[in-house]
Amino acid sequence: MREMPANQLNPKMKNVWRISDSIWIVLAFLCCFVPVVIAAALLPEERSWILLVLLGELIVFGALVALFVIILPPIRFARWRYEVSADYLDIAKGIIWRKRYIIPFIRVQNTDTKQGPILRAFGLASVTVSTAAGEHEIPGLAIEEAELLRDRAAELARLAREDV
Amino acid sequence: MRGWEKKAQSQPCDPESGLEKHYVHHSYVWLGSLRIVAVILFTVVVSMGSSLIGLFLDGTMESPEDARIALIIMALCALGVLLLLIGIVVYQIVSYKHLWYELGESEFNFYKGILSKKRVHIPYQRIQSVDQRMSLLQRIFGVCSVSIDTAGGSANKATLIPYLTKQDAELLRRELFARKHYALAGNDSAGVPQGRQVQGVQMGNVLDAPAGLWDEVGGVFAGQAVDTGAVSYEYGLTNKELLLTGLSNGTTLALIMLGVLGVVSQFAGNLISFVPVSADAVGHMIAAGSAWAVGTVVAAGAGMLFGAALLIWALSALGTCVSYGGFKARRRGNRIEVEHGLLQHQFQGVDVDRVQSITIRQSLVRRALGCCEISLGKVETVSAGDDGSTQASLAQGLVVHPFVKTDRVPEILAGIIPEYADVPHEAISLPRVALRRGIIRRCILQGFGFWFAVIVAIVQIMLNIAASMSGDADLAFALPYINGVATVCYIFAVLLLVVDAVGAVLWFRESSFAYNRGFMQLTLGGLSRETTSFARGKIQFGYTRVNPFQKRAGTRTVYVRTAAGVGGTTMRLIDVAESDAVAWLEWLKPRVGRNSENPASDHVFLA
Repeated sequence: MREMPANQLNPKMKNVWRISDSIWIVLAFLCCFVPVVIAAALLPEERSWILLVLLGELIVFGALVALFVIILPPIRFARWRYEVSADYLDIAKGIIWRKRYIIPFIRVQNTDTKQGPILRAFGLASVTVSTAAGEHEIPGLAIEEAELLRDRAAELARLAREDV
Repeated sequence: MRGWEKKAQSQPCDPESGLEKHYVHHSYVWLGSLRIVAVILFTVVVSMGSSLIGLFLDGTMESPEDARIALIIMALCALGVLLLLIGIVVYQIVSYKHLWYELGESEFNFYKGILSKKRVHIPYQRIQSVDQRMSLLQRIFGVCSVSIDTAGGSANKATLIPYLTKQDAELLRRELFARKHYALAGNDSAGVPQGRQVQGVQMGNVLDAPAGLWDEVGGVFAGQAVDTGAVSYEYGLTNKELLLTGLSNGTTLALIMLGVLGVVSQFAGNLISFVPVSADAVGHMIAAGSAWAVGTVVAAGAGMLFGAALLIWALSALGTCVSYGGFKARRRGNRIEVEHGLLQHQFQGVDVDRVQSITIRQSLVRRALGCCEISLGKVETVSAGDDGSTQASLAQGLVVHPFVKTDRVPEILAGIIPEYADVPHEAISLPRVALRRGIIRRCILQGFGFWFAVIVAIVQIMLNIAASMSGDADLAFALPYINGVATVCYIFAVLLLVVDAVGAVLWFRESSFAYNRGFMQLTLGGLSRETTSFARGKIQFGYTRVNPFQKRAGTRTVYVRTAAGVGGTTMRLIDVAESDAVAWLEWLKPRVGRNSENPASDHVFLA
């Protein structure tokens, strides 16, 4: 087994994942939960099994929250590694399906940095590296680091003569 | 009309840029309007025809008053249609005047649009291919549509220049490629390897004669033939190859499947009559009689299906033959050109630099005949007017030979694309454990036969339980048939399972990958086989993936992504030995030493 890439994401990324995942989970939960609550209020004679459904939803919700807020972020963080070498980008990620990418910078067409509200609140940015056939995102880097990476990829991409 | 023609030839200069404005051919106006008019008339007839007929047949037109009103309405409709026609023609004329291209200093400019103006600028270096396409009508008049591709990824659309005369199109193509190479030569000293001078084998088929006739006649406005460069290699299809191409198109497999199904069902019809029926003698008689009847009906149905499939097959074979009529593939300087089509003519020209991969495909039928299909992968862009069928053909790439004996492949490749002469040969095959995993994956997890059998078994068991529990007489009577049908299904499932298993074993034995300094090759075996070779420099990125089972087995899945096709293509080989995969990942890294001193030398073919 080859050694893993050296760099990890910014540790704050765990919290970013927690927040963004919980937003989605809560939204999905509300979409399922509210109609059932309304149904329970409107149909008192069927309440017994509706309450059972509610309980089931609550359990699923709790399990999802536990999974995405407590269990997954540290594992994901530990598995997500990248390394920017002189002329290629090396990414290892995936918990069950472990993937290892090698992306030569000379194939890179353009690089972007992106910042959503959550990432901005933590002072992070994500870098997207696109080749002619797909893109890769490194989700959580400190802003300076992200800009450094972007500039470097852009510089190396500029040196590539042939565009495809 | 003569006035327009004059104008098309006088080609006024753009006062701003001082460049020559090239207008498209005037058939844009009338052929274009003809097309739109035909569509509109068709819709009008379809939407109004029934009501008109209804008006006449209804018998409501008894009084002359009614007849007059009907006449007035019809006249108004006719007037409306006429106005629409005039409007379309005027629109076409105006848009004709706002449609031109220029050959600029370093880029190709294309202008289009009356109100919302569209300007396309294509730097010459970025041009990947210049294709031309002719519909039957266009062919008669000797005009064609030219599309210019830039390999800009999936979001980019090809630029389509409609209605150029054949002469103008050839001139444009020659000019574009000449300027491209001039532009590239400015910052590029490494020449592209010269094609070995392989003499093209003269081969012909019956459809070449009409295709040649087309070329000679050319069409009304075609103009003179233009010499666009020296051809170093050229070939066509022989009669046999053309015929086989036609016969082995997609429907063949469906036909074979239908035949198998027919045989199986007939067999089943006989089988059912032997199913013991635990009822009294009369019931037995009825059961046997009806089973025989069912068997006959099934056989007759299968026969009819077979006949219909045969007809469809013959028709599509004919269609394929015609569309491959006049097939010619050639190497001209730095370009590969393929043209075919007896009615709708297609001409595709791609720059060698932009070839992403070479794929040699053997479908089941081709494989049985020891033949294969050669195609080149290039970055495809979907142009605005493309429909589903064109997009399906885009996935195939540029077919440079649809049906060729496998032993002729090296010769053709050496002639048409000598840059790929150095493909690796030391194939790395899969480890032993891949066979076990392959059989499990193909026969069970993805095995259609297995899941089919499972579903049939579940249904059968449920019905049997239902029959014994409810004591329903009808259900009990039907039970033998149900079990009979289920038996047939099991036989079918076993057949499928065997096919899957054979496929899995073949997959294991034939799949491999190989790489050397400049190239990588991936072979996927199975009932149909596919070998893809690509230059190392054309790999956009690669990755390996491993799941927990693979981790235990010590294998990995290798993925390679190239830019060929629409939005890129991923090729994968499952269950490569871990050490091989890791070595391959090392190979994938850019070569550091050379790269840092002179990145430009990491050229496509030398990488």
